[in-house]
Amino acid sequence: MPPSRALPALLRTVLRSTNPSLSFHHHHQTRLLSAYGYEQAKVLGLTSLGEPKDVLKLHSHSISPPHGDALTLRFLASPINPADINQIQGVYPTKPTFTTTLGTAEPLAVGGNEGVAEVIAKGGNVKGVEKGDWVIMRKQGFGTWRTHAQTTMDDLVVIKDREGLKPEQVGTVSVNPMTAYRMLKDFVTMKEGDWFIQNGANSGVGRAAIQLGRLWGLKSINIVRKRDSRMEELKQELQGLGADVVVTDDEVESKGFRDQVKEITNGGREDIRLGLNCVGGSIVNSMAKQLASGGHIVTYGAMSKKPVSLPTGLLIFKDIHFDGFWVSRWSEKHPVEKEACVKEVLDLTRQGKFKDVPMDAVKWEYRTKQEELVKAVQGTLEGYRSGKGIFVFGET
Amino acid sequence: MAPSRALYTSSRTAIRRLQPLGLQQQRRCISAYGYEQAKCLVIDKLGEPKDVLRLHGHSISPPHGDLLTVRFLASPINPADINQIQGVYPTKPTFTKDLGTSEPIAVGGNEGVAEVIAKGGNVKGIERGDWVIMKKQGFGTWRTHAQTTADNLMPIRNKDGLKAEQVGTVSVNPMTAYRMLKDFVDLKPGEWFIQNGANSGVGRAAIQLGRLWGYKSINVVRKRESGMEELKNDLKSLGADVVVTDEEVESKEFRDQVKELTNGGREPVRLGMNCVGGKLVNSMAKHLAPSSHMVTYGAMSKQPVSLPTGLLIFKNISFDGFWVSRWSNENPEQKEACVTEVLDMTRQGKFRDIPMQPIKWDYNTKQEELVNAVQGTLEGFRSGKGIFVFGKT
Repeated sequence: MPPSRALPALLRTVLRSTNPSLSFHHHHQTRLLSAYGYEQAKVLGLTSLGEPKDVLKLHSHSISPPHGDALTLRFLASPINPADINQIQGVYPTKPTFTTTLGTAEPLAVGGNEGVAEVIAKGGNVKGVEKGDWVIMRKQGFGTWRTHAQTTMDDLVVIKDREGLKPEQVGTVSVNPMTAYRMLKDFVTMKEGDWFIQNGANSGVGRAAIQLGRLWGLKSINIVRKRDSRMEELKQELQGLGADVVVTDDEVESKGFRDQVKEITNGGREDIRLGLNCVGGSIVNSMAKQLASGGHIVTYGAMSKKPVSLPTGLLIFKDIHFDGFWVSRWSEKHPVEKEACVKEVLDLTRQGKFKDVPMDAVKWEYRTKQEELVKAVQGTLEGYRSGKGIFVFGET
Repeated sequence: MAPSRALYTSSRTAIRRLQPLGLQQQRRCISAYGYEQAKCLVIDKLGEPKDVLRLHGHSISPPHGDLLTVRFLASPINPADINQIQGVYPTKPTFTKDLGTSEPIAVGGNEGVAEVIAKGGNVKGIERGDWVIMKKQGFGTWRTHAQTTADNLMPIRNKDGLKAEQVGTVSVNPMTAYRMLKDFVDLKPGEWFIQNGANSGVGRAAIQLGRLWGYKSINVVRKRESGMEELKNDLKSLGADVVVTDEEVESKEFRDQVKELTNGGREPVRLGMNCVGGKLVNSMAKHLAPSSHMVTYGAMSKQPVSLPTGLLIFKNISFDGFWVSRWSNENPEQKEACVTEVLDMTRQGKFRDIPMQPIKWDYNTKQEELVNAVQGTLEGFRSGKGIFVFGKT
């Protein structure tokens, strides 16, 4: 270990053993003091694009005490979203933010775009945020798979009221719930009793859409992949969140689906005005066929990697519009609205009206090894997982 | 021949002999007792035009009350008319038993211009001699005469300086081009649109309207063995800024070509118009500026449109469709205003109608000739739009 790290590590060990109150129960309330105010940070980063398992590595660096406009953050929770993976693989329009300021010879980028952190130190000129406040990232590209970071207020949004909220909830509010919110609001003026149809219904966005839809009086047809076991449980779970109808992709692409929809929508008297798509492929055609004239299908993902091939009649004669939604673009263009929407969803969460998705938490502590972290990221590429991968930071 | 028709025919023949042929365009042959002998190109079932279209004759009695009798002057053959006959169109032709048949028949054609030749006592706002076009699709315009009410017609207030062929082709193609240029993106002068099928009725209308409104156009046409230079010059004389082939668009070099054309990419291409389908659409969409629209109004290649997900999500490109019949039905007043506007431009020589391949339809024209004309429009690379121009009927 390099000399500078040895001393703080020694002090930390000493402090741990002599101070009984610094037990594991309190670790999220009491911070371990680092000597001289330097933080020893660790980041999961890459120096070249490629498959996560091939390019991600754990890198350590020192963060000096903040002066002036700078703040030091300690991360609390950072999810692993599909877009993060795509960015690492190089199949995303924006590249990760490569930098040489983290003490590497090669430019290094930190993975992850979403997360919540706690302010642990701030420079003299920092206004509007106090030590102990929780913050989320204002934009994508920050790099959130890390234990600590130093930055300025420009990059952050303060969570004004975190009463009754868990880091996992705050750390997953910026991408998925925002996507669901805007897609339900910005494309079609939905009235109470109107239906929307969506695939990927069990995803972060899907579950958010079910719940927000329910809160706003909308009805939903929710498509999930057919699975060999636990189909009933999944249906009930989603119905418990507020889904009106849950169907499988097989059912949707079958001949009987039109009749099924007719029945569901009171003999076709209730219109399906909006479709949400993150899958791609022929299922989108089947969904478009059920929409009322003039409806919109909004695409926000391409999990099957299959293109969407449209029979022209749907465009011309049914007047179906096909749009895309990219939450990063919306967030950048509407920072004030984003802050308001985030607050709204967190308020709903606090009141128990909005439940966060099942998560597959990956504990990240000071000693956590690179292999475990990299495996966690690569593992999100598998299907039918039981929960969203999310780094939950322990003793860092 | 049925006895009643024999009498009329011999009367008509007698009267025809008394009038010099030179006046045939101005003076109508007077039918005995005010009955018109009409002929229409009809189907009694859906199928290929050559298999199902036939010529049917029927009598039209003098109009009373709200009725008018019209004599057609020019009726084009549009792709949608063919699709309707083939049964691959969402609206079916209007089947009726009112034309003297035991089985319901439908008259083909949805667009055309006619002259009012008689009207009933209650008809207001339209006079004999006025030109009228159809208010909606489904009228059936491949016919010499029809009887109807004013509800179905839109009078042309000022026909000075206009030819029947021009008025008969204003409702579908120029309207489509007009609304696609106006209703999807707020194009500013100096901004570009890109379109395929540029040599079609809609395409040529879009080039001209675009030029009049200060927009610039990249026009895609099919590569052809001969006549490419002439076609480019023809479209440029109409106002096309750039004419390229489908092959050029799908090539790797096209990106650089577009960059050059658009002043190093400083001038955005904000609208795409598609009537072809297939992978050409993706190639075109790649050059659209963020938040642009690709509007589809036809599918001449019969291939589906493939949505490029990345362009939808990351470049915010929207894919929409446009159906002129829907727009016309929902916006009758605006349609009348737009039609008047385009006809005014035509009168002033600012808007040229497309090259046409007229088919003369007189009283004696045979079924085979008319049916062949319709079927013939299914061939590609034609020199002009098929249009029935009615002579002595």
